[in-house]
Amino acid sequence: MLGLNSLLKLFRKTFAPKVEGRGFLPRRYYLHRALEALDEDDIDEAVRMITLAGQDKKKSARWRMVCQQVIFRCRVLVSIHEKQMDQINTELEIFGKTEDLRNLYLRLQEVERKARDILKNYELRLLEQLSESTASVAQPS
Amino acid sequence: MIQERNLSIPGGLTGAVLGVAAELALEELTGMEVVGGLLAVIGAGFGLIRIDRRIYEATINLVNRVPVEPTSDYRDVLEQIDEMSIELPELRESFVKLIRAGIEAQRA
Repeated sequence: MLGLNSLLKLFRKTFAPKVEGRGFLPRRYYLHRALEALDEDDIDEAVRMITLAGQDKKKSARWRMVCQQVIFRCRVLVSIHEKQMDQINTELEIFGKTEDLRNLYLRLQEVERKARDILKNYELRLLEQLSESTASVAQPS
Repeated sequence: MIQERNLSIPGGLTGAVLGVAAELALEELTGMEVVGGLLAVIGAGFGLIRIDRRIYEATINLVNRVPVEPTSDYRDVLEQIDEMSIELPELRESFVKLIRAGIEAQRA
């Protein structure tokens, strides 16, 4: 198994990244990559991999499951950013007396808001794909 | 956890091809046929079933990474998980099963 694992790792590091963007590889490869990205909170990559895995119309139960996992993680991260925004707001009211500090807090809040909006956008994109897959299951063409 | 049990042919084939490649590499290194097709078979099986275990681990990992306030009890956490899994039916079902298994384990 050591030889096989080494070969898999070599494949993933060298050959796979060059061709994965074309969607030629098996769906499970993309699901694995999506789960890896999810572990590292690389949501952008996870969404990219999920999208590549779900290119064909027939989406598997595994695809739906991984897609839902990414959506769930997006929601968790959104809630974390919203809590941080609340915290910044509170601190702004208490400590934001000077212009410099006030600007700093406002900048921090802007960063948090941007991060939250990006995650919400990912969530919406995946929910759309998920609902398409539900529709295709409900009404097979 | 996952209802679908059909096996992935591309996954199996990829595993088998990698297994053959591993065997050839071993043959090249050792000069002998030491595994006789075994790695190809293992590779195929690996490609077919590994993803389910990985998805299961990821589900547990997701629950573990839900932020918990020091003051909140398990009902708050359940409520939080419930809210966040709206429109995610399969994941919600998996969470319910995990939680039930946890409660059963605590009782035992």
